[in-house]
Amino acid sequence: MTQQGRRPDESMTLLTSMLERPLDPGYQDAADRREAAGLPRATSTRTVLVVLLAILTGFLFAVAAQSLRPKPTAAASLKQQLVSRIEAFQKHASDQEARVAAVSKQVRDYEALALQQSGSADLTGTIKQLEVDAAAVPLTGPGLTMTIDDAPSTDVDGNAGSRPSSDFEQGQVTSGDLQIIVNGLWGAGAEAISINGHRLSSTAAIRFAGRAIIVDFRPLSRPYVITALGDAGAMQQLFEPSFAGVYLSELMHQYKIRSSIAAADSLTVPGDSAARLEVAKPLNDTVGSSPPSVPSAPSVSGTSDPQTSKRGPAGSTTPAETPSEESTS
Amino acid sequence: MIPVLGLLAGLAIGIFLNPAVPVWLQPYLPIAVIAALDAVFGALRAVLDGIFNDKVFVVSFLSNVIIAALIVYLGDKLGVGAQLSTGVVVVLGIRIFSNVAAIRRHIFHA
Repeated sequence: MTQQGRRPDESMTLLTSMLERPLDPGYQDAADRREAAGLPRATSTRTVLVVLLAILTGFLFAVAAQSLRPKPTAAASLKQQLVSRIEAFQKHASDQEARVAAVSKQVRDYEALALQQSGSADLTGTIKQLEVDAAAVPLTGPGLTMTIDDAPSTDVDGNAGSRPSSDFEQGQVTSGDLQIIVNGLWGAGAEAISINGHRLSSTAAIRFAGRAIIVDFRPLSRPYVITALGDAGAMQQLFEPSFAGVYLSELMHQYKIRSSIAAADSLTVPGDSAARLEVAKPLNDTVGSSPPSVPSAPSVSGTSDPQTSKRGPAGSTTPAETPSEESTS
Repeated sequence: MIPVLGLLAGLAIGIFLNPAVPVWLQPYLPIAVIAALDAVFGALRAVLDGIFNDKVFVVSFLSNVIIAALIVYLGDKLGVGAQLSTGVVVVLGIRIFSNVAAIRRHIFHA
């Protein structure tokens, strides 16, 4: 920098050189040198060096873009895998249930046929009545729909569930609450009850596993819709002052658990697809003396007694385990 | 045109090979990318000005990347890594802006 060419803003040369002359001065110097040597000012852009550097630049961009992309955490991908597995198995389970329903209908048809063939048809009415009592067939009729849901403050916790706690928070509906309410409905005269589409037979178990309430080892999701068939008005009158009704109103007031009751003229409850035959013995007279034409349909002669089942009591609080195979005698 | 094809070829190779970058190299990748961008835009402006020189391009590219990485490394060792890398990014960003503005003036005469 010569003495007479000093700029007044010389102290700011850093900023000015950065702003005013971003192009590398090497280009200008090289161009001047080439011009002095008689060559054209610029070299071609198609030399090997330039192409090589272009490839290197593209490679650098691609590598940087890929490695700097935020990757999903291991927990998120694991959760995704578990969710898809759960959905696949749930679909499998409902397919199997549909198969069970279809096949058991076939079995009933064969039973009726066998009874007719053996010459005595008056047990069909008894069988139908017993099937209704054993909750093996779907029923339709008037009744109540009770919807129970957790307190609104627990909604915000929806997806933060990485805490594997097995305690219920205060505002959540517990399996004990559902047991008390269902028993209250039975006591008020309900003829058939189902929760979220799962029929409650006399051996139904309402338990919990972790944070989910399970009915007969099948998990329920909120809100819990209890469908009770029977005389709607009479049931409501008997339910509300009973212990279960008072308990429910206490839950609503103290823990802000939401519940609502609605009467309807025609409700449907499905049959209990898990009803299994466990004990059978032939009657003493000659009915059924000829062996049934289908070996897989043991005669239901009045001994599908629900009390002989070997399931655990409905009030136990052990975590869910897969039901063991019980043999039919 | 040929350099652009080379750039695309490099991108394709990078995406196809998908090399795993070692962890100690990862903090320098953003700085390297910005330094490379600065050299590329400087070369583009030189082409439009008519004074492109491939040797200058190569030297400026490599020296930019290496010096930027060195400054960041030095900053990490001294404990001012964040500030020095901010400085590097600011300077290179200003240079990129100026070069792009000159290119725009050349192309659009506006």
